[in-house]
Amino acid sequence: MNGRWLLKRIGMSLLVVWSTITLTFALIRLMPGSPISRMRAELYQQYGATMTQAEIDRQVRLYLNVQPDEPLWQQYITYLLDTFQGDLGHSYVQGIEVTVILADVLPWTVLLLSIAIMFQYTIGILLGASMAYAEGSRFDFLSTSVSTFLVSVPFYVFAFLLIFFFVFQWDLFPQGGKYSTGLEAGSLAFYRSVLYHATLPIVSLVITGFGGIALSMRANSIQTLGSDYIRGAQLRGLSNFRISYRYVARNAILPLYTGLLIQIGFLFGGAVILEQIFSYRGIGYVLLDATLYRDYPLMMGTFMVITIAVVVGVFVADLTYGKLDPRIQTGDSQ
Amino acid sequence: MSQQVVAQENILELRDVTVSFGMNRGVSKVLDDVSIDIHRGEILGVVGESGSGKSMLASALLDAVVDPGTVDGEVSYRTDSGETVDILDLEDEELRQLRWEEIAMVFQGAMSFFNPTMKIRGHFLETLKAHDQDVDEGMEHARELLTDLHLEPDRVFDTFPHELSGGMKQRALIALSLILEPNVLVMDEPTAALDLLMQRSILTLLDDLQEKYDLTIVFITHDLPLVKDLCDRIAVMYAFDVMEVFPAGDLSNSTHPYTRSLLNAVPNLTTSLDELRSIEGSAPDPVDIPSGCSYHPRCPLSTPECEQEDPPLEEIAPDQEVACWHHEKVDEELPLALETSDGGSAEVYEGNQSDEPVVVMDDIEVHFETDDGGLLSLFDDPEIVRAVDGVDLEIYENDVVAIVGESGCGKTTFGKTAVGLQEPTGGSVRYRGQDIWETKRGEGTGDRSYDEIRRALQIIHQDPGSSLNPNRKVSSILQVPMKSWQSDLDVEDRKARLLAMLEAAGMSPPEDYADRYPHQLSGGEKQRVALIRALLMNPDLILADEAVSALDVSMRVDMMDLMLTLQDLFDTSYLFISHNLTNARYLAGRAGGRIAVMYLGEIIEIGPAEEIVQNPQHPYTQALHWSTTDLDSNSEGEADESPIRAIDVPDPIDPPSGCRFHPRCPEAREVCATEKPSLDSGTDHCTACFREYSEDHPYWDSEPLGEETIGAHVGGESS
Repeated sequence: MNGRWLLKRIGMSLLVVWSTITLTFALIRLMPGSPISRMRAELYQQYGATMTQAEIDRQVRLYLNVQPDEPLWQQYITYLLDTFQGDLGHSYVQGIEVTVILADVLPWTVLLLSIAIMFQYTIGILLGASMAYAEGSRFDFLSTSVSTFLVSVPFYVFAFLLIFFFVFQWDLFPQGGKYSTGLEAGSLAFYRSVLYHATLPIVSLVITGFGGIALSMRANSIQTLGSDYIRGAQLRGLSNFRISYRYVARNAILPLYTGLLIQIGFLFGGAVILEQIFSYRGIGYVLLDATLYRDYPLMMGTFMVITIAVVVGVFVADLTYGKLDPRIQTGDSQ
Repeated sequence: MSQQVVAQENILELRDVTVSFGMNRGVSKVLDDVSIDIHRGEILGVVGESGSGKSMLASALLDAVVDPGTVDGEVSYRTDSGETVDILDLEDEELRQLRWEEIAMVFQGAMSFFNPTMKIRGHFLETLKAHDQDVDEGMEHARELLTDLHLEPDRVFDTFPHELSGGMKQRALIALSLILEPNVLVMDEPTAALDLLMQRSILTLLDDLQEKYDLTIVFITHDLPLVKDLCDRIAVMYAFDVMEVFPAGDLSNSTHPYTRSLLNAVPNLTTSLDELRSIEGSAPDPVDIPSGCSYHPRCPLSTPECEQEDPPLEEIAPDQEVACWHHEKVDEELPLALETSDGGSAEVYEGNQSDEPVVVMDDIEVHFETDDGGLLSLFDDPEIVRAVDGVDLEIYENDVVAIVGESGCGKTTFGKTAVGLQEPTGGSVRYRGQDIWETKRGEGTGDRSYDEIRRALQIIHQDPGSSLNPNRKVSSILQVPMKSWQSDLDVEDRKARLLAMLEAAGMSPPEDYADRYPHQLSGGEKQRVALIRALLMNPDLILADEAVSALDVSMRVDMMDLMLTLQDLFDTSYLFISHNLTNARYLAGRAGGRIAVMYLGEIIEIGPAEEIVQNPQHPYTQALHWSTTDLDSNSEGEADESPIRAIDVPDPIDPPSGCRFHPRCPEAREVCATEKPSLDSGTDHCTACFREYSEDHPYWDSEPLGEETIGAHVGGESS
């Protein structure tokens, strides 16, 4: 990794974020039945007699970060500056700042997704490695079939099944929500309740997600097992345990890392459906709500936060890839 | 099984060792009843072509044949205390301890032997721990070994495998194999992937190590001349069995027809070029070994007796065994070519080059920017690799120019620049007077289009396997150039033409070959197809980048002969890139061409092929010449002193000041470190060395460079 590359990489991330901001700005301005005219109409309808044109514009600006009577480029710059300062406008359904709403829901989504990814990869890697060791056995055949089946089931189908059995049939888990009401935040009971409520969504992601990881881990491990350095390690008399974790697993995991990046983006997108099914008020839930109620500031703010989350995730993964695989010189000209 | 006792002087005895693999086509015997003794403290060379079973022999010595292969017979090892152990009978734990503590092994590809995600230090540490050795003491030993191998222990320990150059990695691997102080070291083609100069340097070091640590070394290779000086005895393998064993000192000791033919097929620096003969036919399939003597179908001396009965290995002199019914007749019927030839007075062929140059390169520079360094170098300038730095060369019609140099010297980059595949960062490349890159940008003044120039300059790659599309048949691969350049030919014409070409290239029946896919061809045949494909473009210049290096020794002469025959037919020139002076000599010598020696991006000596080979002037060319073993010398079992002072090539990012060779040059004086000699011009044979300058040059009054001055300059490759 080197400085020039790092600067270039940061520049690229900023470019993505900037394009997102620009796109959202364009959306506000150009969409037929734009949020601006809609909001004006609403305000006019409500306070038509009591509110001057200037006051309506001020309200619009407060909520949408847009000053309707300014020239387009000026509006754009104001919007850009506001956004970069962290001011995403006000939700006009809830009437509070978008940033406050997002700060409230984002941690919940991150909680769900990070636990799910952790389990997906742990189970996938362990299972995949064992399948590679037992290549050709009954265990390998069965696990391969099961993994292939599970990876082809969409998580929301599985989520419905979980709800049907675990909630409605057996009443083992709550149907929705993030925690039981009436518990003191920070107490042990509160955290237990949080995990209890998060169980089903996480399970639906993990069960339908680990199969793909296991299958690629299996393929990578089999390839690694055939390489010369494994043979060399065996001849040098290293223990099987050391060979399996320091030689096989260490090298077979490398290609999975790229998959992790794609997974982050994919799961954020999936959160919209997942949180809806489990009535879990995370960022995906808020996004869908905002879309349904045409709460444009909130919708666009959510959209942007998801983009930034993916950009940051990919960026961090890129930076750390070189640590994982010393052969990858991040930013090598080739 | 009756356990035999290993004789005192032997450390390993193999009796009827067979390795077999069950295959769909039948049982494949990749080692066929091999019996051989390995003496304590000797260096035994095991020589054979690829597919002769020599690597299986190495694996069998450690009972490490990969599944599903099975080993039968006896491999008996005599321990220091005089006990005999049958390696094939050992329990897993005993075997684990025997390996590396008693018998260690160095594999063919050091590149892939190290765990890519672990530092070199880790490899040493884990080996010591796995064998319950004292770690501090062991690491001290490792340091000593690395120092013996001309590596800096602290630097090497802290690098990842990919950060070392091939030669350094191979030496680190040798150190790793000796870490537990084994008695026997089995080396399977340990130097095959390296430059000749590096190979020879490693061999010299091995010789020292063997003496210092009292080792027995089994050195497996396809390159008989290479190990001749290193080894005490040489065992020659053919078709999965040992054909003969003879003392290495004098190659005329060899008495098996196969050994003789093999030696006569190897290009070298002394044999007259006309005497080289390739061996007819090909090595047998492991499933279907000929009855009787397995060599009889190819042997010029074979009689009905050979077809019926397999000759046993019989002792004909001390340390000498041979398996041939006719070994007495060998001296008469198959004399060694190097004995009959009259030494160095090889005939120089008249080239039929025109005076008109096809490609002229003028002060070519190719510099690459690299990004290397940590976060701290945030605002540093990118580092520049000077791959090619100020080279002039003219290539004429029907010319052969061979570029010789170590890997990393810029010869491939230079070659690509010559055929317009790499844009130079400085200087100009002109095709028949027209600047190639200006033409490409549309600024040129000449009347040729860029496409025409592109067609006239072709390339054959080093690896024939990856340069042909695996999903297309030979016929469609070869039709592509004709379709694009001779659109007036119809299908029948094209077909007839390519069949004629295949026939001319010795691939008959051509109809059969035209219908094959690349994976159904041997390496040599693939390279022929690549050559034909290039020639069908009717080019004026072909860049042959290590075009024969990947082929077996006996195939190389064939391939180069074909290149020369087709040169006559097609009126083309070759720019031949090789790290091997003998191949360069063969190709350039026969066509009356030139050899240019490159070092760190510069041509340091250029001249007529035979002149360069017989009378090298630059100390570096002399070192390359040394690295090419003289088959004729009868020096006894000792690899002579290396003529270079440092083994590794300096970092091309920061080349040494003055003459770039001075840190390694045995003749370097103080002036060499500050001033740079230029390639004198005017004569046919030019050398960039002060020693070629007149006697009043300051070089002759300058002090020789001392050892301490050298160490400071030698950095070694870092990437």
